[in-house]
Amino acid sequence: MQNGSDTQIAKSQGDPIIRVRGLTKRYGAHTVLENLDLDVEEGEILGVVGASGGGKSVLLRCIIGLENIQAGRVEIFGRDMTAMSDKARFEIDTRWGVLFQDGALFGGLTVLQNIQVPMREHLKLPQPIADELAHLKLSMVGLAPEAAGKYPSELSGGMRKRAGLARALALDPEIVFLDEPTSGLDPIGAAAFDRLIRRLQRTLGLTVYMVTHDLDSIFAVCDRVAVLDGGRIVRTGTPDELRRSPDHPWIESYFCGERARAAMAAT
Amino acid sequence: MAGMSATSSEMAMTGTPSLRLERHEEGGSAIFSVIASGRWTVHDVAALAGQLDGLLAELKSGRAAGVEINLSHVERLDTAGAWLLEQAAELFRSSGLKPSYVDGREEFMILLSEIQSRSLAVQPEDRKIGAITGLLADVGRTTRGILDDMASITGFLGALTVTFGRVLMQPWRFRWTSFIHHIEHTGLRAVPIVCLICLFIGAVIMQQGAIHLRSYGASNFSVNLLGVLSLREIGVLLTAIMVAGRSGSAFTAAIGSMKMREEIDAMRTLGLDPMEVLVVPRVLALMVVLPILTFIGSIMCLIGGGIAAGYYLGLDWTAYWDRMQDIASVKHFMAGMLKTPFAAVVIGIVGCLEGMKVGGSAESLGSHVTSSVVKAIFIVIILDAIFAMFLSEVGI
Repeated sequence: MQNGSDTQIAKSQGDPIIRVRGLTKRYGAHTVLENLDLDVEEGEILGVVGASGGGKSVLLRCIIGLENIQAGRVEIFGRDMTAMSDKARFEIDTRWGVLFQDGALFGGLTVLQNIQVPMREHLKLPQPIADELAHLKLSMVGLAPEAAGKYPSELSGGMRKRAGLARALALDPEIVFLDEPTSGLDPIGAAAFDRLIRRLQRTLGLTVYMVTHDLDSIFAVCDRVAVLDGGRIVRTGTPDELRRSPDHPWIESYFCGERARAAMAAT
Repeated sequence: MAGMSATSSEMAMTGTPSLRLERHEEGGSAIFSVIASGRWTVHDVAALAGQLDGLLAELKSGRAAGVEINLSHVERLDTAGAWLLEQAAELFRSSGLKPSYVDGREEFMILLSEIQSRSLAVQPEDRKIGAITGLLADVGRTTRGILDDMASITGFLGALTVTFGRVLMQPWRFRWTSFIHHIEHTGLRAVPIVCLICLFIGAVIMQQGAIHLRSYGASNFSVNLLGVLSLREIGVLLTAIMVAGRSGSAFTAAIGSMKMREEIDAMRTLGLDPMEVLVVPRVLALMVVLPILTFIGSIMCLIGGGIAAGYYLGLDWTAYWDRMQDIASVKHFMAGMLKTPFAAVVIGIVGCLEGMKVGGSAESLGSHVTSSVVKAIFIVIILDAIFAMFLSEVGI
């Protein structure tokens, strides 16, 4: 009851749910992100694309506060994350979920226990309710009930990602961050995961921030795409807009290549 | 922070979630409206869950014909809240009422139908087993594990012997580089730590012997005690335990991580025998290194004893070595050294075998490294006990 929608009301309508301004991130002398601006609107699925090693994952980690940044500000739900007390952060943590690349499930816990970790940490739910809710999340991400008692090492890569997504959704967050959700999945599994993200986004009204390589998922699910190149966001737009008028060598080779045409044709 | 100040004033306005019952007549039968209001989110469901039962009792006593669940006052609904509403609806359904949702926002209805479509067949819990049955089952599993371990170690020893025989027949296949590398890493680099530990333990044994034998007037015999003990037992055991902890675990970690990354499988497809490439050089290196380390360790034990003897027995350096020369016979020395190649084989085999057993995950690597060290030390000590009995029987 302490957080919920209160701040959302305070935030005036139409403001971006995530606002990044002038973000700079350096590792020693190596600048990964420089003076980067990015807005994520409420209720959209934003795909962040860019070359391998171009800082997509670093940007994600900066936004969710896993990395210290050298300059700039990150506002989420209209609140400055860089100048926030630990207690406030703890509360904000319940309002987003993160799916790491390989699920990042805790190896010593079963899938069901993994999903219940955020519930235990942030809420005082009676065990039967927590069990039922965890089973519900499991079913929502398309995992069979038998998976509940399994350990992450007994799951396939795709199942681990689904279980990781179920954990990210455990507290019904408003924003979900996905780090390469379809990498390492076969095309059928990847397409199913895309549909899953789309469906969950519709039913739960989520805002989705998705780092990806996968042209298929960009055309299938993304409302908007932000292109990261040379440490900054060089363009944003719908996948179609970027394909029609690339205006940038990297975007052109990415969106107008053979594979992009195939992905386009498939949707 | 502008957002924060606004928050507190908003707080009073946002309702806590609740359920309220209203009754109205329609065509002679009673229709109940359950009016849900407030925020139905995962943060609040615990408080709401208790309200359901009372509500049902009230409904039943009212002899209701139908029930509407009115959502017009719900401010926010997430999956947990929707799940709870569905629970209520399910409860009504099972008691013969036909619940329907009214006045819900569109997104609420999508969410509710999504939840409704989920068949929540919660798996029955694993059969509860009693404490005693559980204990017996554990004992059985562990026994089975020990037997399996014995079988697999024996099998591995056999496979190693076969491979070793093949390498003997075709000596050019022996991996000299790898062999020398392992001699350096398991032997040369272990010298300082083995020296240090044996020096201290030797000194401690001498000191304890001197103090406790003094009450029998036999403190001088602590030199005998140390001489026999360090050559026959302490040097061997300390060194073997140290090497098992240092190198056995390193073998398991190295081979295990290769197993994890499918490097072992890649080797097989390239026509390389992992046994020949990975295991033989390691085990042979240990068999060369462990006797040398044991020798160094035993001598350091004696030196440590000599230092302590100076303090506690007043024995000067040359007198100490004079006496030691009478006590420390070749017989004792050989009795100790005899055991070292066997200990080396045990450590090498257990280390490599555990590495080969590693599965796909990092947890499995960690647990196998641990069990490699534990098993190697355990078997080395058992072996040592068997040797001690055997050697005393044959009079060495």
